[in-house]
Amino acid sequence: MSLERVHDMNAEPDPILIAQKLTKLYGDRIGCRDVSFSLWPGEVLGVVGESGSGKSTLLRCLAGIDRPTGGEVMFRHADKPISLFDIPEPTRRKLMRTEWGIVHQNPRDGLRMDVSAGGNVGERLMDRGDRHYGKIRAAAIDWLTRVEIGEDRIDDRPRQFSGGMQQRLQIARVLVPEPRLVFMDEPTGGLDVSVQARLLDLLRVLVRDLGIAAVIVTHDLAVARLLTDRLMVMKDGAVVEEGLTDQVLDDPQHAYTQLLTSAVLAA
Amino acid sequence: MTMMLKAEGLTKQFVLHNQGSVTLPVFAEVSFTVERGEAVILHGQSGVGKSTLLRILYGNYRPTLGHVHVRHGGDFVDIVTATPRRVLEARRKTLGFVSQFLRVIPRVKTIDIVKDPMLARGVTDDEASRRAGDMLARLNLPERLWSLAPTTFSGGEQQRVNIARSFVDPSPVLLLDEPTASLDATNRDVVVELIDEARKAGSAIVGIFHDEAVRDRVATRRLDLTAYRAAA
Ligand SMILES: Nc1ncnc2c1ncn2[C@@H]1O[C@H](COP(=O)(O)OP(=O)(O)OP(=O)(O)O)[C@@H](O)[C@H]1O
Ligand SMILES: Nc1ncnc2c1ncn2[C@@H]1O[C@H](COP(=O)(O)OP(=O)(O)OP(=O)(O)O)[C@@H](O)[C@H]1O
Ligand SMILES: [Mg+2]
Ligand SMILES: [Mg+2]
Repeated sequence: MSLERVHDMNAEPDPILIAQKLTKLYGDRIGCRDVSFSLWPGEVLGVVGESGSGKSTLLRCLAGIDRPTGGEVMFRHADKPISLFDIPEPTRRKLMRTEWGIVHQNPRDGLRMDVSAGGNVGERLMDRGDRHYGKIRAAAIDWLTRVEIGEDRIDDRPRQFSGGMQQRLQIARVLVPEPRLVFMDEPTGGLDVSVQARLLDLLRVLVRDLGIAAVIVTHDLAVARLLTDRLMVMKDGAVVEEGLTDQVLDDPQHAYTQLLTSAVLAA
Repeated sequence: MTMMLKAEGLTKQFVLHNQGSVTLPVFAEVSFTVERGEAVILHGQSGVGKSTLLRILYGNYRPTLGHVHVRHGGDFVDIVTATPRRVLEARRKTLGFVSQFLRVIPRVKTIDIVKDPMLARGVTDDEASRRAGDMLARLNLPERLWSLAPTTFSGGEQQRVNIARSFVDPSPVLLLDEPTASLDATNRDVVVELIDEARKAGSAIVGIFHDEAVRDRVATRRLDLTAYRAAA
């Protein structure tokens, strides 16, 4: 191929999310400390580390759910950076609903269990301002199909679904408004391996096709390798190593990362 | 002559923190350049660090010292110090790596695996499909397999999918780690042809081949790593 085609990378876009020295303390217990990074549109960042290392704490601060003890989260909105915890609560809630999405480990935390599958998806479009019933229903069907839930299940409630289906429904609910940024905490936790593989492939394709940025917390290094571009390794609340995902996994530099990658057979 | 890749003072030692912090020196101060249309073959006995060097060129391993400058579009990217986004961008458009093994992604069809890098470079879907089909056919992969995920394929079949993906639109800089290892003689010949075509079309190639006959056919230059061996 000719070299002439290779040319468009000099225009640096701005990061969509910037964390600066994020710290969250629970009394004298450390949730996370001094975490800084930038995330660009279309980039998928993985966060790995042992249980209790602060992954969920970090994610909750980034997503605006918990207020950090120190540091700042900057989100790029309408072409300028805003500081997430400096804006009024209702504005933050609105951003959370429209510009980003959160996939919870337990689908029950992200779904309305007493609302039909179609309603769980359609509701998000109404949040966005869509009012046309026919269009909303058509979009809901489209999304259920994309996550491989049959159209005939549209009126069923989530509690009539298996765990894997609930998780896929949650993902549809989060992605339907086409957020620019998605946070996921162990999106495949608690699912059996074959269901995981389908879900992972679905996520991989959706993230790529929609060009959204994502932060994915996982303890599963194979999941990290498949879905993420970059990796942060956390220990005791702090980031001990970060870089390109394949480099961190294949040539880990830090003692803790070496332990983590040698503890599994082949990620 | 157009320089495509410049390795500068590459030194690698592994530090195994959880095995008493043993330091494992592999090589020191490796420097070389590769021009457009050249195929440099890495030499030296098992363990001398050929794969390690190739992985460093790709950004998969981190050198202890040194730099890897790759011509990417109009300028050079230092793969060692560039941000992950920049390295990924360089890999998407400029730097290709072909190993002995296909990393199978669950559920993705063979034809889509081969199309994927072309689509990422902006080739239309129709053209990508046509070229992917031609390439799979050239590598003697039966058409009935094209719509299947390679999870259940034999080692040699998977390897041909891998080759098809890498050579259907060869990168300007191609790194090859034993790409012919699990192939029969017929398919090995096809791969040698593909490598030669890519080189003549302008790709700069750095490769490792255990088969002496293949080496002879592919190489325009050899680099023996034995001389750079680091003392333990
Ligand atoms: N609400 C809370 N109150 C007090 N301590 C908390 C609270 N939430 C988390 N912690 C503590 O903060 C630390 C980090 O917890 P966190 O849930 O972020 O870990 P994690 O990396 O997500 O672990 P896991 O992989 O088990 O989910 C832990 O020591 C935990 O006990
Ligand atoms: N990720 C790693 N961590 C620790 N040591 C490694 C790692 N990768 C390679 N090595 C070591 O580096 C040295 C060089 O290995 P490398 O695979 O580069 O050799 P090679 O020349 O490609 O050999 P072969 O011809 O057998 O493929 C070996 O001692 C190997 O054990
Ligand atoms: Mg957690
Ligand atoms: Mg090798």
